[in-house]
Amino acid sequence: MADRGRDVEVPSTIASGEQTVWVDVSSLLRAACDDLQDGELVHGENFSLFASMSALEIMDPKMDSGIENCAYHSVEEAIENGVAPVPFSFDRTVDVQCTIDVMDHLLACEATWHKGNSLAQTVFSCIYLLRLERTSSHALLNSYCRIIRATCSAVISIVSDARTHEEEDIFTMAYGLPLKGEGDEKCLSMLNAVEETISRQLRACKAQSSKKRVSEEITCGTADTEPLQTNPNLEEGYCKALLSRIRFRKHFYHVLMCMRKPHGRGLELARKHIASCQSELACILKSSEFLASNVRGGSQNDIEEKTTASGCRPIGFDASLNSKLSAPTPPRAIKIVSWNKAIEYFEKLLNDLDIICSFSMDPLLENILRSVVQFQKRKPDLVARAHLQVLLVQDGKLYGRDLIFDVICKAAALHEITKNHETQKNEFLLPLGQLLINLFKVLCTNLAWQRRKLGKILQDWAITSVQLTIALNRELEENSNVYVDENVCMKLSKHLLIWAEEQTYWIAYRFLTLGFDLELYSPSEYCMVYWFIYCILVKLSEKAQLKMVASTDAVKRKGKKKKDISKDVLNDQKLSPAVLLLQCYICLSEGLTMMLAALRNEHNAFQTPIAFNTEEEVHTQKFRAHLAHIPNDHVSYLLYKQSTVHVRFSTLVKYNYFRDAQRIVKELRSSFSSDPDRLDELRQIEQIAEHNRVALNVICQAGASDTSLKVSFEFTQSPCFAIAVVKRS
Amino acid sequence: MEATEDRESDPVEFDPSEIEYVSYGGEHHLPLIMRLVDVELSEPYSIFTYRYFVYLWPHLSFLAFHRGNCVGTVVCKMGEHRNTFRGYIAMLVVIKPYRGKGIATELVTRSTRVMMESGCEEVTLEAEVTNKGALALYGRLGFIRAKRLFRYYLNGVDAFRLKLLFPRSEMSRSLLAAIDREASHLYDHCQPPVGSPDVQSI
Repeated sequence: MADRGRDVEVPSTIASGEQTVWVDVSSLLRAACDDLQDGELVHGENFSLFASMSALEIMDPKMDSGIENCAYHSVEEAIENGVAPVPFSFDRTVDVQCTIDVMDHLLACEATWHKGNSLAQTVFSCIYLLRLERTSSHALLNSYCRIIRATCSAVISIVSDARTHEEEDIFTMAYGLPLKGEGDEKCLSMLNAVEETISRQLRACKAQSSKKRVSEEITCGTADTEPLQTNPNLEEGYCKALLSRIRFRKHFYHVLMCMRKPHGRGLELARKHIASCQSELACILKSSEFLASNVRGGSQNDIEEKTTASGCRPIGFDASLNSKLSAPTPPRAIKIVSWNKAIEYFEKLLNDLDIICSFSMDPLLENILRSVVQFQKRKPDLVARAHLQVLLVQDGKLYGRDLIFDVICKAAALHEITKNHETQKNEFLLPLGQLLINLFKVLCTNLAWQRRKLGKILQDWAITSVQLTIALNRELEENSNVYVDENVCMKLSKHLLIWAEEQTYWIAYRFLTLGFDLELYSPSEYCMVYWFIYCILVKLSEKAQLKMVASTDAVKRKGKKKKDISKDVLNDQKLSPAVLLLQCYICLSEGLTMMLAALRNEHNAFQTPIAFNTEEEVHTQKFRAHLAHIPNDHVSYLLYKQSTVHVRFSTLVKYNYFRDAQRIVKELRSSFSSDPDRLDELRQIEQIAEHNRVALNVICQAGASDTSLKVSFEFTQSPCFAIAVVKRS
Repeated sequence: MEATEDRESDPVEFDPSEIEYVSYGGEHHLPLIMRLVDVELSEPYSIFTYRYFVYLWPHLSFLAFHRGNCVGTVVCKMGEHRNTFRGYIAMLVVIKPYRGKGIATELVTRSTRVMMESGCEEVTLEAEVTNKGALALYGRLGFIRAKRLFRYYLNGVDAFRLKLLFPRSEMSRSLLAAIDREASHLYDHCQPPVGSPDVQSI
């Protein structure tokens, strides 16, 4: 790594400025080249080892994206060598077969792209797309490629707008690709024209086959219709296969366009197009039997591998041709998903989009958060998540329609206290609005990224809560002779504070539970995680209850005389269904904490490995960075240790937390009788509680001395709340 | 940074005492490390990447030899990272026939110990979420899964960022000792053995 060329003649210099000179280093470089061995480097003082580490080794196939590992130097050269002929064949049957294969492979490429690979190595591995103008004589291929291109542009645009793709940025990278071209705005009319022609051909062939040719000719106008291809026996099958593919593209493009309309105005129509897409997908799937039985040779036999319905290898694709576009990053391994997987992908995408389209556009924050979390349980891919985010937040407004200010006022029950103009004076509404918009966006990102972002914004929420507390205390000091409830400003601050704290705990809860989805917890950490979840849930339910009391209090106060007030507040201690639901989870998390603690204390199970550190460091690492700021004085490691170190099965069996959860579930059923989602949730809680209650009894009966019992935890009922499984070894 | 690929081959019978561990000793060790990593890990590294690590932190890299053959290696670094002094395990490889015998654990333990003695507050690394062997190994040494990194590797697989925090708070330690003492009359407190390299695998 040393500088070479010590013996080389010092080059002459040319002054070029006050402190710089130009030096001719050709001779130095030549000498260095002659002297350099493999793995050696010429470097100056400002070129560090770290910088050299970022070097890519040229001609190393693992690193060099620009390496020519393809038979052709350029797209043009590939075309000259007949890789992408137009037409595919002068035999019109073969030409149709090849066209369908290209369509199918493009669908597989599109799904692979959506799954997080580069556009250049998936959809744009199609030479016909790279040089669309060449296909102008082939109306079918041309119109299909054009709508693919327009669709890709539309998808990139929505994903870029949503910015939910921080970790999936490879998705929108499209430089160097011909993504937009003249005439793309007419892509739908071009496709319609082709569809019309093929429909006519289908009608003609049906008429012919039903031997009613003479009469039909007049009514259908099919007399001069030239068939799609030359084999009359295959005409209907090919017409149908093409029509379903064309119609799918058309409706899919409509779906994207409708969903982009502001204020969710196009959602209803989008749902109709989604339904059409789904039925066309079913037709496409059905066509595979026909297509596979009429192959032209060169088939891909493995159903898990094949990227076309026929199983034939498509003509005109070469992923290595533009792999140079991904330089300077090393090449990524790309495997195009199979045709079956691609169909599955689009079925799932359409279902996800359909759910977004049927969003109630509810302005109530609680319901929005719940719906988004529910939606994420379906594990939607990037494109669906981007659509959700663009729907939720447009132009800084909820659904592009409701002011975030109003959303907060409603959520924190501010309107019950005072009029808008009074509320707007509160200095915290603007930053809280920003935090809320940010939260909406974060909740639409992939779970891994989401958890990290939640950890960060959790601090912002916590800091704002602290600032609100300080402001409220200041107001209290300044107005020491006035009750909070009698001063509008102070009351606003109080309501906002309760609400901001509630959101903070909600985010913390989401942050903690996502750790289970992402498999970030090991069984030895479950105990402390559930204990932390328990602490957060207790706080969350406190705030939720406080908020409810505060808002009902405000409503009642308006119509009542002063002396009645104190009595009402006392009567309002009944818990709301939402709070009771939280109580169920409190029981589950406390029950799991205690069961795990007892297992650790009495069975020596689920111990933290001790090599370089102790459980305390693990606790610190798990929770310090993100959760240290939240206002909760109950979450220190010492308190955790104190709460769990004495836990014994003998006490647990007397006070069974899981039985409590079951009791609350029973109470809650009637409150949620009209909400199937909530009822499902209750059933799930009931199952988790029942399994764990039984497991706990079994362990208790066996006694601590029975070492043959093996206890493990499974997540079969919920991704977050485990079920203890007891086995005798 | 770590990513492993499995290669089929039969395990070799040997006594753990036959394995010789040596700290990086100079340029003659470099081809041995490169060969192992190039073959076993999915991520591509240039020779300059290897040199970056072994030139700056030779005392953090170790090689394992069996009868003169290099069968495993660990490559690390350390430095300031956001106000903490942090160690980083960049590459860890044990060739397939030698896996499951504690060699990887010994390699990691050696470099981790040096990092601890050098004043590191924590050690971190990335591993593929699918690499069960490595995840179990680091889990046993007290590493936690701090984050999941979406499609972190060039092959499209997610990674876990693993972290090991070294103890430093003496005061809370004495308080905890008091709690443990208080609890010890209730049950026999059992501490797992330190390390236990005999059951490790990668």
